Amino acid sequence: MQDAIKLSPAEQTLLGHLRDAGDDVAAQRFEQSGLPNRRVEEYHYSDLKMLLRAVPEARAALVEQPGTTVAFDGVARITIANGALVAPSGLPEGLTVTIEKAGPTTGSDPMAQINAALAGEAVRIAVAPGADVTLHIDRRTEGEAALSADQVAIEVGKGAKAFVVETFGGSDAAHMVNAATSLTVADEANATHVQIDRQALAVTQFVNNRYELGANANLRTLTVNTGAGFNRVNVFGHFGGGDTHADFGGLNLLEGKQHADITLDVTHAVPDTTSSELFKSVCRGDAKGIFQGKINVAKDAQKSDAKMMSQGLLLSEGAEIHTKPELEIFADDVICGHGATCGELDDSALFYLMSRGIPRVEAEAMLIRAFLDELFDPLDNEPVTEYLETIVGDWLAAAAASEGK
Amino acid sequence: MSSPILEIKDLHAKVEDDDKEILKGVNLTLNGGEVHAIMGRNGSGKSTLSYILAGKDGYEVTGGQVLFKGEDLLEMEPDERAVAGLFLAFQYPTEIPGVATMTFLKTALNAQRKARGENELSTPDFMKAVREAAGNLDISSDMLKRALNVGFSGGEKKRAEILQMALLEPTLCVLDETDSGLDIDALKTVSDGVNSLRSPDRAMLVITHYQRLLNHIVPDYVHVFADGRIVESGDRELALELEQKGYAAFDGKAA
Repeated sequence: MQDAIKLSPAEQTLLGHLRDAGDDVAAQRFEQSGLPNRRVEEYHYSDLKMLLRAVPEARAALVEQPGTTVAFDGVARITIANGALVAPSGLPEGLTVTIEKAGPTTGSDPMAQINAALAGEAVRIAVAPGADVTLHIDRRTEGEAALSADQVAIEVGKGAKAFVVETFGGSDAAHMVNAATSLTVADEANATHVQIDRQALAVTQFVNNRYELGANANLRTLTVNTGAGFNRVNVFGHFGGGDTHADFGGLNLLEGKQHADITLDVTHAVPDTTSSELFKSVCRGDAKGIFQGKINVAKDAQKSDAKMMSQGLLLSEGAEIHTKPELEIFADDVICGHGATCGELDDSALFYLMSRGIPRVEAEAMLIRAFLDELFDPLDNEPVTEYLETIVGDWLAAAAASEGK
Repeated sequence: MSSPILEIKDLHAKVEDDDKEILKGVNLTLNGGEVHAIMGRNGSGKSTLSYILAGKDGYEVTGGQVLFKGEDLLEMEPDERAVAGLFLAFQYPTEIPGVATMTFLKTALNAQRKARGENELSTPDFMKAVREAAGNLDISSDMLKRALNVGFSGGEKKRAEILQMALLEPTLCVLDETDSGLDIDALKTVSDGVNSLRSPDRAMLVITHYQRLLNHIVPDYVHVFADGRIVESGDRELALELEQKGYAAFDGKAA
């Protein structure tokens, strides 16, 4: 057993929260290891020991009337505010929402472990077998700066179809949010999970996504980091049934001093499964966008096919994009590939557009939108795609305004 | 008499990170209604001239002047030049994945109208204009649905350039080797498209190294370009003479 290390003031506060939550095991573990630093492979580009200077003293308390991040036309909405479910109404048929005790985490990720220790309850959303539902989960952190931890567990029943869009938003205080979402896709089910960070710049956010896939199933994901000043998203995917395909996607759309890190770990554990991974970063100012992707193919998972791609667009001298793909393959009959590109906007494309009378700012915007289209187009859900395009439009307008053009 | 559309006076230029001069004193004046052809070998500096006129980065003008309708062209950004009425038909039009051709056409057209203080075109008026211009150039609606220049054949790219030219109605058209990559039928279609745009208020600068294009787009003046400048000017006959004698007779270099 290792000796306790010296904890920073931020770590001390977090330790206090773990003790208050009554999870002695988690508290003891944290006391010994503290926050992960750069020597921990998975946190190499997001050294939390360095970056996390303060943790709110307060835990998020119950709020009476939480706000709304966005209303999607014709889409049912569930609001979870400061970790508590707001009694839902008007839920579509085939959807059951219940509250249960928060589940323990299954992985070794330190932030997921902290989530499990702090989140008292989990909101369980069950999509009945054969049902077809679209749902918006509006996760909010309201009020004064606070530490908030919540869990959502979505189960998509056999043969069901579910489109779930999650938004993260709230007041503009310096919250620390630690959210977990698990999505279980049963045999023959089809699920899409879109996650959009609309937090204020002052927010520090950790998101832990866990996907468990059955046989003959299909999954598409997209996680978009653009609001919070600091964002770390873990994406764990596990193929547990054959003839299943998943497309994992993500975007860091950053400016100023924002830092966003998506770290993906996908395991093809059984034969005959396929996946694609497409992650993009667009950074301006001094922002830092990170994508780490690891694909594991188990010994028996023959005929696995995985294609991972990471693309970065640097729009300023000070912006940084880090990308690290990894493949760990134990089967011998597989197709796995990865690629990465990173660069500025294409000069010749920019000149071509401008030579037709399109001003520089607008030409740049066209090329950035074109770069992102590949992520948004396949969602096949108009209100959500429109919302994402609005976010990009606002982001581009803010960029143009700050450059004084 | 009204001022010329384009006046190039003793223009010298080089590539930005290179000391070697590419344009070594170009003089050329284009008036409204005139079609000028510039002929020259590969590497003589013809395309550089077209890029400098359109405002591409990477070149440095080391001397001389270019006036466009009396204004200093070299001071303008590429988009301002387009708004002022300059159009370059690219030798190799850039493929831009993710930008739909129709969206691009509408954005370009309305950006120019807006910059000139005109109203933006309504969608039905825009569609009508595109359909008409596309029909004249044998451009299918399927082609217009694709991303800009992506997956277009060489001929389709050139026809798309002329389509843009027809829609944007420039006062100066610079055609950079528009004939390259075209078969005989496509050459005729493209040339017909260009000829239909000839007008007294418009000038054209046709850059090519083959006489063939000039059978279709008959120029008023022909200039032989060699080693960064115009070495000989004449009428239509000069192009025919050039084809017979070869460039060596004009620039003194072996063929």
